[in-house]
Amino acid sequence: MKFALPLLFVAVGLAGAAVAQDAGKSVWQGIYTSEQAERGSAVYAQRCGACHGAALNGTGEAPALIGGEFVSHWDTMTVGDLYDRVRTTMPQNDPQSLTREEYADVLAFLLKNNGFPTGTQPLDKRSEVLATITITAEKPTGTGG
Amino acid sequence: MKITAILPLSVTAALMLTTAASAQTPAREGTAAARTSAGVANWTTYNADLKGSRYSPLDQVNAGNFNNLEIAWRFKTDILGSRPEYKLESTPLAVDGVIYTTGGTRRAVVALNGATGELLWQFALHEGKRSAESPRALSGRGLSYWTDGTKRRILYVTIGYRLVSLDADTGRPDPEFGENGVIDLKKDFDQDLGDLDTGEVGVHSAPAVSGNTIIIGAAFREGFTPKTHNNTKGYVRAFDVRTGKRMWTFHTVPKPGEFGYDTWLNKSADVNGNTGVWTQVSVDEELGLAYLAVESATSDFFGGKRPGNNLFANSLVAVDLKTGERRWHYQLIHHEIWDLDNSSAPLLMDVTVDGKPRKVVGLPSKQGFFYVFDRATGVPVWPIKETKVPKGNVPGEWYSPTQPIPSKPPVYARNGVEEKDLIDFTPDLKKKALELTSKYVLGPVYTPPIISTPEKFGVINNWAQGGTNWPGGSFDPETGIAYVYACGACISSTGLLPPPPGLSDIPLVVGVAGQPVVMIKGPGEGAGADSPATAPAPGAGSGPPRLAVDGLPLVKPPYGTISAIDVNNGTIKWQVAHGETPDFVRNHPTIKAMGGIPRTGQATYQIGTLVTKSLVIAGENQFTTTPDHPRGAMLRAYDKQSGKEVGAVFMPSTQSGSPMTYMVGGKQYIIVPTSGGNASGEFIAYALPGKK
Repeated sequence: MKFALPLLFVAVGLAGAAVAQDAGKSVWQGIYTSEQAERGSAVYAQRCGACHGAALNGTGEAPALIGGEFVSHWDTMTVGDLYDRVRTTMPQNDPQSLTREEYADVLAFLLKNNGFPTGTQPLDKRSEVLATITITAEKPTGTGG
Repeated sequence: MKITAILPLSVTAALMLTTAASAQTPAREGTAAARTSAGVANWTTYNADLKGSRYSPLDQVNAGNFNNLEIAWRFKTDILGSRPEYKLESTPLAVDGVIYTTGGTRRAVVALNGATGELLWQFALHEGKRSAESPRALSGRGLSYWTDGTKRRILYVTIGYRLVSLDADTGRPDPEFGENGVIDLKKDFDQDLGDLDTGEVGVHSAPAVSGNTIIIGAAFREGFTPKTHNNTKGYVRAFDVRTGKRMWTFHTVPKPGEFGYDTWLNKSADVNGNTGVWTQVSVDEELGLAYLAVESATSDFFGGKRPGNNLFANSLVAVDLKTGERRWHYQLIHHEIWDLDNSSAPLLMDVTVDGKPRKVVGLPSKQGFFYVFDRATGVPVWPIKETKVPKGNVPGEWYSPTQPIPSKPPVYARNGVEEKDLIDFTPDLKKKALELTSKYVLGPVYTPPIISTPEKFGVINNWAQGGTNWPGGSFDPETGIAYVYACGACISSTGLLPPPPGLSDIPLVVGVAGQPVVMIKGPGEGAGADSPATAPAPGAGSGPPRLAVDGLPLVKPPYGTISAIDVNNGTIKWQVAHGETPDFVRNHPTIKAMGGIPRTGQATYQIGTLVTKSLVIAGENQFTTTPDHPRGAMLRAYDKQSGKEVGAVFMPSTQSGSPMTYMVGGKQYIIVPTSGGNASGEFIAYALPGKK
């Protein structure tokens, strides 16, 4: 957490600038960093894994967060939609108990596990910025990264 | 405990302003008839009637116009609790133009104008710690209506297991019922629950109300990893609808000296629990019998603490409506260790078998068998044969050497996973499926669970969420045909491991070799409006390797079906895959290279069906995005006779409860309870265009 603050300042600045230019951005364009997913992995293990499973397979009633069913469930929605769903309702017994940064980290971890590519900028923590990134289940042809 | 209520002018007065609804007087005390008159048709119990039919004779919406349905109104349940709900399972009632339903994370009760969806009144109990501790939180499956022609009451069970009687006109608690309209169901229970806040019991189902009698079941935490084998016992009780006085109790786990006690060896009935009735109770008012579909005893997959057949676990029990005395029972699974608990409301059908009129009770199941009995005597209509089943090798387990297998009707859903069930779109996929499953045990129905090891993680099965779950079936009283949804691909792997110290006093609970054993939570547990923060988990939970091959489901389609079962002759009249092929399957490169595959249906256990004069109606539980429609789900209508799809209407969200229908002002409405993904709970009412 020591480095979170300066990194975030950078992130917010960059992502904010990106909003106007990159409307129509997709999860296939490298929208989070591997460091962010790494942080998200630790948060996930502490706060999510008990129900959703270490391998994100789901247990009992908690659904899997990996695989085709999960991704197609969110197809054509935005990362902002997913972010706010997680932020406002999870963990189910204590919603909104993580910081926005932690929720973004967890989301990066989920994106990584579902095969979406890493990039150089971390996911923003603002819902309205994430709402400009579309989740597309199918990898668009001709799109790199 | 606090009450919140919005108490406007009375429902009747409100309706006078907006609709032409006319009040109906019932023929006798009870739930009121669902008859149609003066442009009004009612839906007065959770399942449309006490026989469990989910049938309405309405036919304004039919094959010719189903595609013209449009949204008439929507009612979002977000405000009925401290946070939105994403698991709305309630089926509303319609009585003389007023919709009554539970909703929200508070399990509030609302009355709505059936023509517009406008809120007429709202009631909720704020139960604090008691609801936070409940094993069965969230909005529940619904509520019940009662009238004697003068008084009109709404009855429901709160998250904290209190039975509440409300004036249907005002939403105010009935002061003559219990204590100011409320009965504490944790008391007067023939067992001591200890602390009333934490004593484990709750229930999702709607009360069954017949005459002056209210019947209430019980439900508990998920049984994968129970804290103790000596859990609360799921006794069934009846209460007087006017006073709330307890009328009788049926001991689903017999007490010493009672019939069935000796089916628990070593007096184990004394120290085991669960065995509740968490699904709907059906009632034959003419025979004076209530039908109880009893769940499993404590610990879903390990029964070493309860040697013996364990009556009345996994039994269908007919009890006297007035006294609660057992008239007959039939145990469908002896010493159950598969989480194949009775999930569906009994279907009380009048059919003609071999030329003779028969009053039968049919029971759909998770295990894909449709059991049929004479409902007066309990004698199977077609032979049910005690069949030898494999004995397992889990240390300390007690195995029943045989299980009852119906000879008719045929199995209507996948109830085992064997090599023949594995994906085989291409030889390569089949090969990969065999490689993957080499780490698991495959087998037919009643293949026993195993100890999880790195060599064999568990038994691949369609148990906990497969076949027919809580939505149950439906039937057409005119033809004797039952319509039953079933999941064919709700598969998982089940293995057993010893729990870590402090988790459970049961020697073996669900776990996966190489992963820590943790508590597995049930539907809505720890998710209600009062649920507090808990300490972070000490690490990640269990999760075996994914049961998928190249991202495709491990088992063959159909993933979900609706079956029409002709109960006159015990045959399957038709079966269709219900639900659009999931995107990740339809768009998979292998499937595309094959030029596509027939509709697969969807793997879900949330689907209930509605039967009308000519149609079987059910929505989808998964979002899809297709060339025909944007992201959403379809509400589908099938011809009752042939199963041919005759219409489909777009829904912005997915069906998560069972649909119902009613008429007000001469117009037929269909309400679908929806939620899932990004969409919180919402009732969506459909009707045909035009003002009529």
